[in-house]
This record gives sequence, structure tokens and C-alpha cells, in this order.
Amino acid sequence: MSDAQLRFPLGLGHQLREIVFGQAAHEMVAFCLVTHVQVGAETVLLVRRVFGLSEDDYVDGPGHGAAWRGASMLPIIDIAMREGLGIVLVHAHDFGERARLSADDLASARRLVPMFQARVPGRPHGSIVLGRGTASGLLALPGCLPVVTNDLGVRWLGAAIVDWPTGVGDPTVDQEAFDRQALVMGDQGLLARARIVVVGLCGGGSHVVHQLAHTGVGTIIGIDDDMCDGTNLHRAIGMRPQDGRRRTPKTQVMSRLVRNIGTGAKFIGIQARVPDRQTIDALMSADVIVGCVDNLHARADLMEIAWRNCVSYVDVGVNIRALKGVASEPRASIGGNVHVFIPGGFCSWCCGFITNDKLRGERGGRDDRSYFQNKRGQAQVVSFNAVVAGQAVSEVLQLVSAYRGSSIDPAALLIGDGQQRGALKFDGMRGTLQEWGATRRPECPTCNEVLAAGSLVWKAAA
Amino acid sequence: MTLAFISESVRAVAETYGPEQVRVAVDGARTMLRIGEVELYPASRPPSTPMLLVLDPGQAKPIAHVQPGQLLANGKAPKSTSIVLVGGESWLQFSFNIPWVEEHGIMRFIAAARQRFAQDE
Repeated sequence: MSDAQLRFPLGLGHQLREIVFGQAAHEMVAFCLVTHVQVGAETVLLVRRVFGLSEDDYVDGPGHGAAWRGASMLPIIDIAMREGLGIVLVHAHDFGERARLSADDLASARRLVPMFQARVPGRPHGSIVLGRGTASGLLALPGCLPVVTNDLGVRWLGAAIVDWPTGVGDPTVDQEAFDRQALVMGDQGLLARARIVVVGLCGGGSHVVHQLAHTGVGTIIGIDDDMCDGTNLHRAIGMRPQDGRRRTPKTQVMSRLVRNIGTGAKFIGIQARVPDRQTIDALMSADVIVGCVDNLHARADLMEIAWRNCVSYVDVGVNIRALKGVASEPRASIGGNVHVFIPGGFCSWCCGFITNDKLRGERGGRDDRSYFQNKRGQAQVVSFNAVVAGQAVSEVLQLVSAYRGSSIDPAALLIGDGQQRGALKFDGMRGTLQEWGATRRPECPTCNEVLAAGSLVWKAAA
Repeated sequence: MTLAFISESVRAVAETYGPEQVRVAVDGARTMLRIGEVELYPASRPPSTPMLLVLDPGQAKPIAHVQPGQLLANGKAPKSTSIVLVGGESWLQFSFNIPWVEEHGIMRFIAAARQRFAQDE
């Protein structure tokens, strides 16, 4: 893992690469406006906006790949100051294996970066160069002097998660054990390095953990504050009758399940409820979050954490309703969903899956969340859970291993009518899982305000 | 609430608690005001807590939060509370009917919020 990572939501990475890798008579530069978040020892720079310069802004400069009028940066700096965002200048060296700032680049960066720092001191700033699969540059983290880093990670979010530099094969992985899977998934090291957080470990989540362990995902973090009881046995994979009697924590059942599968997957259980502090830390560290929760309040929290930190989030749910009617007619409606939320694409608010009215409904019409009452006694059947959970795992595999492709161009995710793929509806009566798609709403507050918002920057009250 | 009220609140809280105790952050349209230590009812456990005030121009009144785990003087967890996500952080939300008139100012609001933890449940 690098000390710092630059993370691009869907669309912005493509926009940046179109600019800096574009064909021109000189190097092209772009300005990324960023927030940041600390994930363990790594500082993650979250890109909120990307700006290029017009051709008129460039000037001829001796001995330099690109030179531009200083005044052309002023509107960008103005936005950064107004919105409290860091500024990262990006250009590309589309040659050689490892990109490095040239002497001219470095001299320019040493002038610009402190100037950016002086204007927005609470956020990171830098000047970086992208190569073919690598990045390096001069980076100034909040409160620190600028330092040259040759070990800068870049994460591009698109149809899959594309990391620069791409990891090398993991020698500890038993490749032979995954031979058949590797025919589709490719390098098992991608899965072995992945960190997937599963929230909710009963009807849906236990299937997800079970399958992730079989696929050889490196780290599975399971979050659930609940203990088993006898009524879970018909649907909780890995549970034994004595777990119900002993009130075994569901995290312990999953730990045992993963260990017994024996593919080397590591399971970390967190017996707590989102958004307890330790769950937020775990969710921020995820490559992908899988939400298997049964209420919209928890989903809204997961959505916010995923968007704020630019983490892809797969949500699953099954909704079975008993119908009253004559015996010869169906006695239930069985629906469900698998949503794949890729930061920068549509969110659960955009597609109407979460609305304020629905949240208020869970609170019995009150405005205060402390009135929230979890639903009890909803119908659950293991086979229906298995369908949506299995699809969720397939979506995780796509995000991690890119078996369907790794384009970061939003167009690659379109399925017609301008709809982005990733909203699947399950019909348990027909036995179908159908792609409906959804679109990002331009006026969505979650996408406009929360996406890549990062950590709050606390300042002294002036 | 008005923007004038928000900036006056920041000033008043910093003046009362001291600038070293008070931090401000912006999250979208909201201003977050964090007080490092607010004294509660003396027997509350613990007797003081960090407090977060959310000042949202789209809302009529401020929202107060304290650090999760705050107990009442009798050692019980206060009823009708929940842990909520605010600005990506974990805070305790509590239900308490605080009469609200903007002209009364933020300090009176904080005083009323502190009283929540002097209750028996």
C-alpha cells in the first residue's frame, strides 16, 4: 500500500485522462480539486472536480513540456478556496514504465504547491505526473511540507476498480486451487488483496460471506451486533442449532464458516452497529461494501459512508409479502434488489430507493431518528436470499477482478436509454433477476454534496 | 435559521468556551460547531462531553449531539437516543423538546440541551 492514493469517482477519472493523455503539441495539464480522508496510514485524496485549461491559456515555454498563464488558474483557485478543496496539478508522461517529475516539473511544483497550501491549508495539494500505470509527484499533506513521492497510488472507479500501480501476483496464493475460477477471474492476486466489508450477517450476508470465502477474497470484514437465535437457523448459512441456544454472536459464526472453508480468506468480525465509530473505520477501509441490511436507515448510512469516501457499495435485499387470498392463488409477492452503487454514478437517492418519506415511514412519521423501529417478523426464505446474494458476490467479483471489463468511461456502463447498469430487480415468483438500470440525478443532494466530501476539516473558530 | 444567526452562534460559543475548545467545520451548506468539553449535570457519567452543534440554514433550529456512550446521573443510558452519522462521524442523537426562539441565542439552546442528561431516563 502506498502512503497516499488519489481516488477518482466514475466519470472524473475518464475526464482527466482525456485531458492529460490527449494528443497535443505540448503536454496538457489538469487541476483536480480534492478533499481527503485518512485510512490507516494512507491518506486518500478524493477528487471532487477536474478542470482543464483552454488552448489559449498555454504559452510557449523554453525547456518545459507545458507552460500556461498564471491568471488562467485564478478561477480554479477561487473555487478551491470557496469550497475548501485542495489543488492537485496533474500532467502525463505517456512514455516509459515509471513516471517521474522532470527537473522543470519539480521546480514548477515547488513554486505552486506552497502557494496552494497557503490558500487552503486544511487540505492536501500537489503536482503529480501520470505514466502508464504509475504516478509520482510532489505532495503536501495538511500541515506538512511538500515531499517528493514515487509511490503514489491511483484508484480509478468505473466498471471495475482499477488501481495503479497494479499489484504484482501474490506468491502466497495457491494458484492451482483457483485454476477453474481463474479462467474467468484472471489473477487470483486481485481477489487475495481485496478487502470486502459485509454489513448484516444473517439471511443475505451469510451467503455473501460464504461465497466470498470460497472465491478466495483476502479479507472479509463482517459487521453485525446481533446474536443468533433459533429462528435464524432456517436461513443463516453456517449456523448450527447450538448457536441459537448459546446466543453465539453472528460474527463468530461467520468467522468459523470462513475458517472451515479454508481458502486462506481472513475474516474480521465487528460486533457493532453502523454507524458506531469502529464500523465507520472499517467501512472507510473497504474496497467494496456489501450491505445486507433490512432497513432504509442503515442503507442511508452505508450510502453516505460509501459516497463520502468513494467506496463502491453493493446493496442487496429481499422483500417477501404474504398475500391473503384463495388457496389456488399465489400467497406471497417476492421481490428484491441488487444495486451496484459506483461513486460518481447513480446513488440510492437518485433511483428513489431511499427517500425522505420512506425514512420517515420507518420512524412512524416522526422526524427524530431515535423513534426508528426495526421491522420484525418479515418473511425470509433461504433460496430467495441465495439468488440476490449470489448476484451481489458476482458484482463484487466484477468490481475487483473486472471479468466484464475495466473501462472507466461512463459510457461503458450504459445499457440503453441513458441508463447506467447496476439496478437489478429480483422477481421470486417468476424466478428472474432483471437489469433495469438507473441514472444519476443532477439535482441529487447526496451526489452533489456528499460524494467525495471526505473528512471534515476542523478549524479554530475565528 | 439565518446565516447571521449561524455566524453569531460561532462567535458566542467561541467567546464562552474559549477559542481553544471550539472548532468549526463546513459540510455542504451546514456549519458544524464542536465544543471540546461541555459540562453536564455533575453526576452524569461522564460529567462532561464533547458536543456537536449542527447549524443548517435549511432547518429552523440547531441540532445538538454528544459523544456516544453518555450516561445519565443514575448510570442508565438515556432513552430515545440513537447513534447517527453526522459529517461522516459518529455522534449520539437524543430526543429532547427544546423550546426554540432564534432570538434567545445559541447559549440558551446549549443550556437546555445539557438538561437532557439531568433527566431520570
